[in-house]
Amino acid sequence: MRYAFFKGCFLPVRLPHIEKISRNVLEELGVRLYDVEGFSCCPEPVGFYSSDKLTGTAIAARNISLVEDEGIDLLTLCNGCTYTLKQVNSALKENDELKTRVNEILADTDHQFKGTIKIKHFATVLVEDLGLERVAKKVVNPIEGLKVAGHTGCHIVSPPEIMRFDDPFDPVVLDRMVEVLGAEPADYEFKTLCCGWTLSNYGDREAGYKLLGAKLGAMRDAGSDCIATICPQCFYQFDTGQALAVRKLNLGFKLPVLFYLQLLALSMGYSLEDIGYRRHRMRDPVFELKLNEALA
Amino acid sequence: MAFSSVIGLVIRVEYLSEDESLSLKEASEICLKCAVCCVVKNHFCHVQFDGQFDAKNTYVYECLGAEDPSKNPNIWMCVSCHKCEEVCPYEVSPVEFIESMKARAFEMGHAHPMILGEVENIASSGYAFPLTASSRRQREQLGLEPLGYGATEDVRTISEKTGLAQRLLRYKEAKV
Repeated sequence: MRYAFFKGCFLPVRLPHIEKISRNVLEELGVRLYDVEGFSCCPEPVGFYSSDKLTGTAIAARNISLVEDEGIDLLTLCNGCTYTLKQVNSALKENDELKTRVNEILADTDHQFKGTIKIKHFATVLVEDLGLERVAKKVVNPIEGLKVAGHTGCHIVSPPEIMRFDDPFDPVVLDRMVEVLGAEPADYEFKTLCCGWTLSNYGDREAGYKLLGAKLGAMRDAGSDCIATICPQCFYQFDTGQALAVRKLNLGFKLPVLFYLQLLALSMGYSLEDIGYRRHRMRDPVFELKLNEALA
Repeated sequence: MAFSSVIGLVIRVEYLSEDESLSLKEASEICLKCAVCCVVKNHFCHVQFDGQFDAKNTYVYECLGAEDPSKNPNIWMCVSCHKCEEVCPYEVSPVEFIESMKARAFEMGHAHPMILGEVENIASSGYAFPLTASSRRQREQLGLEPLGYGATEDVRTISEKTGLAQRLLRYKEAKV
């Protein structure tokens, strides 16, 4: 099973420890990742792609064309990258006029969009290409007794006719992925609510904290021990954003967050040190104790 | 005065000849203020957490109803999650409208400063986030390959061809 590895830019720049463990875990699962020289930002959907659709489409088309030369599908680790690249891939496959226009723009770069590959988020690769049964076979340390609040995020589910990942209003795929590890998925209020990254950064920071407080409170009320995400920016918001919100809102509790592939790594025998947990802002001895009991 | 404001609909923006390309669909005019998109628990727009909005003045009404939506700083809070579009019983697509307004605002030089900075980063280096000494050091410690600038030239070429590079230069000159 081979894929071109699209790292994006947030993950390799801000969260390289997650890139590292993700590479290790995917390789162990038999997912071979190929690094392709010359990728740029996807580009980022909320700021860039919305503000200048034509340039955004051309940059995304260039990224896709680099993989088309290799003849394999593209694997991403980020909801935002998946959103931009899938939207552009779909739009250009369906609209010949737009494709011609974009290829004219790309002409001076010696790249052309052909429309021959698929864009896949790593969760899609685990669930559909590999199959959760095969993932389950790699679980040597089931994390039983741990309750995990899965946060699927926004851009991986909508628009559903293009993203085709899960129900935007009742997402269950991440819960199934969590169950495979032996953990119990938490059923909590505000499950589909955004992590608040955009609100915190482009709007009112206080409103962002309020949102995060409501969401974290709901996760906590449902008995969650930690959060699992499949998007690096959601991860960052629940980690660094939570560190700020805890102080502002006097929350009185912490909920550590793990990228799903970190959680999978733990169940495959890796340690907290191996997954880079010490680089997280939200560390909690109570969680660590419970996790170590589960893994013992 | 726009027709819609006379008869009391939410949308107040004047239609322009180029609106076809801005996706201001007719459906945007039929928003009936049912508030499903912003106040239905568990399905609501995250921007409602901002204190300036409530059930009578939702985020979506504020965006659709602004006199000049492209100068409305609140448009930048939309995360393009498409929830408003999914739940609307009348198939209004506020997200399309808001994204069109973002594009128009960007064109006019009214982009949110953080977004402008991000666009400049991508157009000049290929990365949305600057490659800092700290990230270089961390990658090295982890045994990861250093990040290169293999896309920079192509991204600059694309930006020049679409006119983005010239627009960014214009904004910079206007600031000076």
